[in-house]
Amino acid sequence: MKLIQLFAVVLMGLMLASCSGKKIQYGDATAVETTTLGFGSTDLQSIAAKLVDDLVTFPPIVQMTSTRRPVVFVDKIKNKTTEHIDTESITDTVQTKLLQSGKFRFVDMTAVKAVQEQLKFQMDSGMVDPSKAAAFGKQTGAEFMLYGNMSSIVKRNSDAQDVYYKFTLKLVNLESGIMEWAGEKEIRKTGEKSFMSL
Amino acid sequence: MRRVILNTIALAGLSSFIVGCAVNETATVTVNDDGTTQIIESNSGLLSDSLSIVDTKTAFVGNLLKAQASIKNDSGSQLNFQYKFKWLDKNGFEVAIDGRPWQPLSITPHESKTVQGVAPNPTVNSFKILVQD
Repeated sequence: MKLIQLFAVVLMGLMLASCSGKKIQYGDATAVETTTLGFGSTDLQSIAAKLVDDLVTFPPIVQMTSTRRPVVFVDKIKNKTTEHIDTESITDTVQTKLLQSGKFRFVDMTAVKAVQEQLKFQMDSGMVDPSKAAAFGKQTGAEFMLYGNMSSIVKRNSDAQDVYYKFTLKLVNLESGIMEWAGEKEIRKTGEKSFMSL
Repeated sequence: MRRVILNTIALAGLSSFIVGCAVNETATVTVNDDGTTQIIESNSGLLSDSLSIVDTKTAFVGNLLKAQASIKNDSGSQLNFQYKFKWLDKNGFEVAIDGRPWQPLSITPHESKTVQGVAPNPTVNSFKILVQD
């Protein structure tokens, strides 16, 4: 009898503790986020997933990547929206997914200065065995460039607000100048006036 | 009588402890080799009773698995829910965990919508669709 009482008290305590509404908790990073109408994590993840799917399944790209892994560099995405959006974060995700697909290789233009300094150190400092130092002039040049734009249209009236995003990504052949592929992702979000917050 | 109340409290406490304060329900739809689908887990019958996978297609684009599923709303009311693809390799290991976000989807009564996904890399040879409200 006392055992049942003790069991009941312990479980009620656990139940109350589990429902006590902690101020800090971890959440699912891939969950749909609708805190505000502004650009959010769900938008970033959706854009990256859609554009990567489009690129790796585009027939000429499928044919090209079936036998080799073309080298690409990512240029900056022009942010033409009224918001401050870290577009580099979007291209980082796209780049990571493409790299992990095993279809493409990348040269990282954001690390050029650091690479130069490291090579200079290996060649000039006298601290590195010359036979084991990375040589200048041996890097592989990119064949393709990924670049694009992000724009938005915001409309509002006294009751509601509508935000439309369009993200365009393009792949251009650096040697020929020909655009080999372009993909777009559109997102529309609407909210009532009371929940508006861009 | 008192014992019955205590037992009831114990049972309520146990079930609350197990489910916590979660309100999400998740159903996992497995697509078999022969194309048939099956909901293999669900916290609640509400969503899985209202939704059905009416058609699935798979194809390899190059060496990447492309999956398509038509999700049908069998209920008489509009359903707003989220779906997500889960990719598995031949050994059943999940590939690129959290690689795809939950995607919001809205389906009007008795209508169906098609969703598509492409595997993150060539090791994938099967997939699941997760839905939650």
